[in-house]
Amino acid sequence: MEVLLGITGKDFVLTASDATVARGIVVQKRGEDKSRALNKHNLMLFTGEAGDTTQFAEYIQCNTQLYRMRNGMDLSTKAVASYVRKELATSLRSRNPYTVNLLIGGVDPKTGTPSLYWLDYLSSSVKLNYAAHGYASYFCMSTMDRYWKEGLSLDEAVNLLKKCLEELKVRFIGNLPKFVVKVTDVNGIREIEI
Amino acid sequence: METTATLRFLDAPASIAAFKHAASEDDIEATASACVDMAPREFAHPTFDIPAINNPVEFLKHQTSVDAKNRIKIQHGTTTLAFKFNHGVIVAVDSRATGGSYIASQTVKKVIEINPYLLGTMAGGAADCSYWERELGRRCRIYELNNKERISVAAASKLLANMVYAYKGMGLSMGTMVTGWDKTGPQLYYVDSDGQRLKADLFSVGSGSTYAYGVLDAGYKPDLTPAEAIDLARRSIFYATYRDAYSGGFVSIYHVKEDGWEFISRTDVNDLYYQYAAEPKPSLAA
Amino acid sequence: MSIMEYNGGAIIAMKGKGCVAIAADRRFGVQALTLGTDFQKVFPATDKIYFGLAGLATDVQTLSEKFRMKVDMYHLREEREITPKTFAHMVSSTLYEKRFGGYFCFPTIAGLDAKNEPYICNMDGIGCITTPNDFVVSGTAENQLYGMCEALWEPDLEPEDLFETISQALMNGVDRDAISGWGGIVHVITPEGVITRTLKGRMD
Repeated sequence: MEVLLGITGKDFVLTASDATVARGIVVQKRGEDKSRALNKHNLMLFTGEAGDTTQFAEYIQCNTQLYRMRNGMDLSTKAVASYVRKELATSLRSRNPYTVNLLIGGVDPKTGTPSLYWLDYLSSSVKLNYAAHGYASYFCMSTMDRYWKEGLSLDEAVNLLKKCLEELKVRFIGNLPKFVVKVTDVNGIREIEI
Repeated sequence: METTATLRFLDAPASIAAFKHAASEDDIEATASACVDMAPREFAHPTFDIPAINNPVEFLKHQTSVDAKNRIKIQHGTTTLAFKFNHGVIVAVDSRATGGSYIASQTVKKVIEINPYLLGTMAGGAADCSYWERELGRRCRIYELNNKERISVAAASKLLANMVYAYKGMGLSMGTMVTGWDKTGPQLYYVDSDGQRLKADLFSVGSGSTYAYGVLDAGYKPDLTPAEAIDLARRSIFYATYRDAYSGGFVSIYHVKEDGWEFISRTDVNDLYYQYAAEPKPSLAA
Repeated sequence: MSIMEYNGGAIIAMKGKGCVAIAADRRFGVQALTLGTDFQKVFPATDKIYFGLAGLATDVQTLSEKFRMKVDMYHLREEREITPKTFAHMVSSTLYEKRFGGYFCFPTIAGLDAKNEPYICNMDGIGCITTPNDFVVSGTAENQLYGMCEALWEPDLEPEDLFETISQALMNGVDRDAISGWGGIVHVITPEGVITRTLKGRMD
């Protein structure tokens, strides 16, 4: 029932994750942030097996920050995605693989060029202009196909995201009242209310 | 083959109890135990051979249950949609038939023209849909001859729902929208092989339905012009064919009006892809 | 559903006269859902060898990285380029290393050897090499591609004719497969260089 969405714009990536943590038929928490900032310009969103998600995300977060300490520079979005894919692929063939689905969004700190990577728990990685994980992909990909275009402004991207969330509200059986929405651009990562 | 052993009734006529709904009281008595789950007999003119055992539904599980080894595979992938608006009803469908991942046909006709005032759409088993909607057409004609007026869409869709409900659990697969224009105006019903029958302004059915909804819901309003409605329907099916591997081929569109349905167009989705790609996207300004 | 059909995809390689061609579709999907239409399934090993990987997308990416590393290491250690045949055996033994719990990926290799003789082969998931004289196919559209190749291929095709043949075989083959297609890419390897072209295809 978990939902992740990502939309690239002119010089930013807009991401949304549902804030609900559920176990079986019980909602345990409303207001959980299912993302981690890997460095100043890269954000990773995750869903999947309880426990695996935050363990894996924080492991990646620690290592990207260690990279900065060792090398005095940050990994690019492409490099992060590549590193994460390798870690997840290695884990896949281990005795106890991480079951996590990821969206990695970020911008080039100099040019602001956005990029968004979609990775599933099998560690298939693709770069997309807009992406979704979970049941949202069945409801929102066509909406984004219809309305997404190159060089969206933040207002336009927020309106597109609203269209997607509205569609989920109308058609999706899951009850997802709250989403954590974040913008990643050259100034860093910030949460916004929509 | 394993199936021949379990389907013995197919080749030994003596062991067949041809289950006839419209049979005499005696026959009904004789097969009473076999028809506990069957429909009221007045609904049935056609007859089908039913396994001659106590519980045919249970017996057929080896073919009908989702994880059965001998499950009968039928074409499943589809995107169909229909919606009411101020100028009638728009019906749009794709045209792909798949068997597993093999594309069996790109030119299936998924709108069934029941009569000049009634349309049915096809999702699920092609044979089931076309058989039962043809049977529905026959009954609608008989109704017309008996009553000297056309059947309402509500009644027609209920006939269909009742007919297929009689065979519930025996493997029928049908998800259809019945639409038309009667005394009360434009009508739209959803009927499926579970026996579910719903009335609403907007439906989409099939594996690509969620994608169609994604475009349709964002653009739908009752006061669309016919041209806008047709374009919205076509785009909704198109985006479903793009995202859903099991939908594709051509988009066929019908418009149901007061004087009956009209066939609007049949467009190759590949032409639409390049046409839409060259168009500017709609504004996202609030 | 088989794990080989989880992501979908189709690959062909063909021999020509002093040239070889390799082609693949561009879809990345998860079962019925198409997510990307620019997924790379064919990779360069050297200037004269390309390999395609059909099957589970994660293994396509893992193996392509692994082979790139091994080819580069070979180049550094041997100070010469690997030949297609050696490369094929390297791929084969890499797959067989994982005999018990393997990669869900069927490789296809096309290249020209040191004498510019054409070489094509493909493999199953654990490294059994087949080296026909005409063409090899793999992926979810395998059956359709066999039909197309049997009908269209002929010996001693020049590069441009080989390009036309492999493109027609690919596009018409994947049009009968629900989970491959959405465009294609073709590489024709000649002694003078590689001709790479992307193909527009049906997007449904």
